[in-house]
Formats: sequence, C-alpha cells, structure tokens
Amino acid sequence: MNGSLANAVRSDWFGPLLVTIVAVAIVGGFNPSFLSPLNIQVLLLAIAVNGLIAFSQMLIIAIGQMNLSVGAIGGLCAIVFAGMMDAWHVPASLAALSALSLGVICGVINGFLIARTGISAFVITLASLSVYKGINLGITHAQPFYNISDGVKSIGQGAIFGIIPWLMLPTMAVGLALWFMLNRQPIGRFILAVGGNQHAAELSGISIANTVVIVHALSGFLAALAGLLLVARLQMGQPTIGDDWLILSFAAPVIGGAVLAGGHVSVPATLLGVVIVAIITQALVLFDIDPFLVQVVLGAMILAAVGANRFRESRLSRNLKRL
Amino acid sequence: MSYSDVPAKGPSGDIVGKPRRNATETRFYLTNEFGLIALIVIFALAFKFTTEGFFSAFNLFTLGRIAAVNIMIGLAMMVVVITGGLNLAVGAIGVCAAMTCGYLIEVVGLPWPLAILSAVALGALLGFINGWTSVRTGLHSFIITLATMSIFFGVMIFLTRAESYRALPPVFAAFGRLKLLGLFSPLLLVSLLAALLLGYLYNLTAVGREMLTAGAKPEAAEMSGINVGRIFIYCHMLSGALAACAALMLVARNGAAIPSMAGQLGQDWLLIAFLGPVLGGTLLAGGKASVLGTCLGAFLVTMLTSGLLLLQLGDFWIQSFLGLLLLAAVLMDKTRRTFLARRNMA
Repeated sequence: MNGSLANAVRSDWFGPLLVTIVAVAIVGGFNPSFLSPLNIQVLLLAIAVNGLIAFSQMLIIAIGQMNLSVGAIGGLCAIVFAGMMDAWHVPASLAALSALSLGVICGVINGFLIARTGISAFVITLASLSVYKGINLGITHAQPFYNISDGVKSIGQGAIFGIIPWLMLPTMAVGLALWFMLNRQPIGRFILAVGGNQHAAELSGISIANTVVIVHALSGFLAALAGLLLVARLQMGQPTIGDDWLILSFAAPVIGGAVLAGGHVSVPATLLGVVIVAIITQALVLFDIDPFLVQVVLGAMILAAVGANRFRESRLSRNLKRL
Repeated sequence: MSYSDVPAKGPSGDIVGKPRRNATETRFYLTNEFGLIALIVIFALAFKFTTEGFFSAFNLFTLGRIAAVNIMIGLAMMVVVITGGLNLAVGAIGVCAAMTCGYLIEVVGLPWPLAILSAVALGALLGFINGWTSVRTGLHSFIITLATMSIFFGVMIFLTRAESYRALPPVFAAFGRLKLLGLFSPLLLVSLLAALLLGYLYNLTAVGREMLTAGAKPEAAEMSGINVGRIFIYCHMLSGALAACAALMLVARNGAAIPSMAGQLGQDWLLIAFLGPVLGGTLLAGGKASVLGTCLGAFLVTMLTSGLLLLQLGDFWIQSFLGLLLLAAVLMDKTRRTFLARRNMA
C-alpha cells in the first residue's frame, strides 16, 4: 500500500474528514437546500463560534486537564464587552480589548490555582465556573445588554462574497496559530510533553507550573473571543451566553481524536469535529427532527467518539506489538 | 513517636497516655466534622444577630426542607466519588426519575408508592448504564457521565416536550408541607435515614468495605479477590438511586415534577453535589467517605445561602459566593492535610 496514503488513513483527521464528506453528501442529497449559500453561511457562523469554544477546551485537554469554566469565562467576557458599550459608551475596540484581557485574567486565575495548589483542575474550574457565572449574574441581573455599537453589529452580519461570514476570519487565524504553536513552537511541544508524561517533562527541564498557567490563559482568551463573536452574531450581550458550551467543548476535540489523558490533540481534526457537530445539528433542523434531540445526538457522538478512539488505540498498540 | 517531647512539658506524670490523648485531641479538632460543626454554630449565631427571623419557626422549617434535598444530592455524588470517579449526570438522572414518577401517576395511573419505587429503580438503572459503560470501556467516568448527562436529559425533554406534571396526588405536597413539632420537615428525616443507611453500609457491611477498598487502590483490591468492576457499577447504581430520591424530595417540595428543576442538563445540581462531599472531607481521589461530613457540609452551605438571602446582599451574587466557598474549602483541606502529614498524624 502507498505509504503516504497509509499515513493519512492512520492520522487523526482522516476519520472525521470521511464522516464530514459522507454527512455532507447524505444531507445534501436528501435536501438540496442544505448546500444553498444562505445555509452554508449559517453553518459557517456556527462553526466560527463553536470552533473557538472547542479550541479553548482542546488546549486544556492537551495537558490532560479539563476546564469546566470555558462557558462561564466566555459568558462573563461577552457581557463585559456588551456592557461597556451599552452602559459606558466605550468604543468597541477598547471594549473588546478589555474583555479579551479579562478572559486571559480568568484563565490565569484558574491556571495559577491549579498549578500552585495541586488540586485537581476539575474542582478548581467547577468553583471558578460558579464564581464567574455569579459575577455575570451580579452585573446583569439576568438582563441582556442591547445597545452595542453598529460596527460590531455589521461585522456580525457581514460576509465575504456573501457566503463566508467575517466572523470566520478570527477562528481560521486562531486555528492556524494553534497548529503552528503546537507543531512548530517550543511552547507547543512543552504543552504536549506535559500532557503526555508530566514527570518526564519536568525531568527534562520544562516548568510544569508555567506551562499550566500559559495554557489556561490561552484557553481563557479563546473562550473570551468566542463570547465576543457570539455578541456580534446575536447583536446583543445575553447573560445566558456560555451556558450550553460544556458538552460541545468536549464533543469536538474528542471526535477529533484527542486523548483525554493528555499529550495528543489535533487542530484540524478538532475543527472537523466542530464541522460534524454543526452539520448534524443543522440536519436535524432541515429534516424537521425535534430540536430537543440535539442533546441526545451530541451525547451519543461523544460516547461513539471515545469508543472509536479506544478501539483505534488498542489496535495501534497491537500492531506495535506485532512489529 | 518522634515528637514525644510534648508530654514532658505536661503537668502530670502520665507520659505514655498523654501524648496519645493530645494527638487524638488535636486530631479531633482538625477533623472536617469538628470544623464544620464549629462553622455552623458560628454562622448560626452571626445570622441570629444580623438578620431578622433566622431562628423563626418558618425559616427553620424552610431551611430544613432545602437542606434535606441538598444533603441527598451531596450523598448521591459522594457514593461515586469514593470510587475515584464522579457522576456529572446526578441532575439529569434526578430529573428523569422525577418526570417518570409524574408520568406513571398522571398518565399510567399507577398508585403513588409504586410510582416512587419505579422512579428510584429507574435512577438505579441509569446509574447502572453509567457504571457499566465506564467499567467496560475503561474510560474515566467524567467523559462517560458528561455524555450520558446530555443523553438522559435530551431524551427526557424530548419525551415530556418540556411540560411539567402538576396534577400529582395531594400526598406529595402534603408530605412536603408537613411540619413535625412545628419545626422540622419530614424530608430531613428521609435524608438522615439515607445517611444512616450509608453509614451502616460503609462501616458494617462487606460490600461497603469493598467499595472503600476498591476506591482506595483498585489494583490491590482486585488482587485480594474483589470484583472491582462490579463494585464500581454498584456505586454508580447507588448514586443514581440517591439522585432519584433527591429529585422526588424536590417534587414533594414543589408539589410538581418540573423538567427544569435542576437547570439545563441538570447542571445546577453539580456545584451543590460537590460542595457537600468536598467540605465534608471526602477524598476526590477515592477511598474515603465521610457521610456525616457530607451531611454537615450540605447543611452549612444551605444555611449560608439562606442567611445571605435574609441579609439581602443581592441574590445574584450567591452563586459567586458558593464558588468561593468551594475554593476556600479545598484550599483549607489542602492546608490541613499538609499540616497532618508534617506532624505524622495522618
């Protein structure tokens, strides 16, 4: 068999890509309106936001931890962004900058507490989840901010060539940057090394604490960015932003073959995971299937993906043994 | 006995007995249970002087009713945490069980005791699904229960069309409203009974001891002939059944089975579910359970929430406060453990 083809088959992105193509073919075949420009634009909008959410969690999975507060950080930064424009009439760029810095700060707090205390990331981020969400509710009193600047609104609605939403650009840029970082930069290799074997990484001179803090800061930044994009897309700052991110943030990386124990994630495969989730969600709408079932499908997809990853792992290790 | 210089300073001559008692006393003062009791007393006094009507019969009754459900939720999480795993689906399982109970009574017309039994059985069944999947695939229960929480809740909301069951027999609401001695809710007794049974299970039965052993060191337990997989599945089933009980108690409190009673996907239960056991000193790594601590922890959280609401500090900030409380609890627990380890008392 051709060597490069065999390599492609074994890579993380091959399976998700196959599923994506098959899903597009099936859904498009049964319902041609799926491939209409309007529908593609809606699909890309969903992918733009969800991609950032997935990347935010993917980075944490890379070091073998989890971040339950992705949604809470995104929601808090979203309402700070919208609130500064609404209540204080701050220019959009400045508001965006402050909201993104807040995201980084929230992430650093998570990372610092985890690295310093050695308490599991699950408990720390569960606690910070409710702290951030509580601040969100304390600021908004559960009321949305409506008066956001026109520039933000037009970015949220605009599309290049009438099909690719502007909001897609930050996500693509982040995807490329993350791929470059994880594959070509020392810090990216440090992150994967810490996830793969923390003890070995420490012995080879990598500072675990610094890596953990940096990863959580990046994760907070991406969650904040996702929150900002959602404000632009919804044309208002809703306090409920981020409430339903948890399942999704884990689904995409896991579908993309990420190992939950850490050390192995793939940027393109995670993005394909987001695409698959978006296509299936969209298909449920197009075929008039109950939207309530989206949750069931998402859960089932996580189970199927972890099962498939497990199977792939065990087959790989068996092949290695035979060599 | 590296620190036997302690008794030498003591006034009495009982050198052998003294250090032991000192150590035991210090250790007692450092237990979670003692700390929690102290905190409960301190805050109760603080609220007595700063708020109006904290000790009124009505407030004590409401407090007990809320604490009863919170204790049950905490216990539902605790029984899985001792395996070193966790159950994110407690809320989803609870809502599923409560809605099933409502359906069986209103649509099928089953008598209510049977409906309650079926609801608890359903909770155990959903817990079995969690446990079996997690044991069979060898994956951590975090990702499994994350997925099943989405599935259980999705199926429930699909089947019920997000509608509540409000025409429940008056027994439910009456039980929820019943006051014993004009003060206590019988719901509290249900939680205490569950806690006593769990205490009996962990201290006096073989299965309970096996659960703790399997949680502490699965490999060692496996080698000493314990079927660890089966024990873990039991723990998950127990967790599902307790979650179902918590939801049924909530039904009694509300007088209706409401699909949104645990929030989106049942996530609203998560914080309280972890607060109880963590405050109570249950090890998240598994192998140690504190039933009394979990009850006290859940009660403390309920009391603080109620007191802060009475102080009218702005109810939107309560959630932030509970998050900070969880952080403070784990940090204090960490310090306590380091202290005990340094003095060789752990």
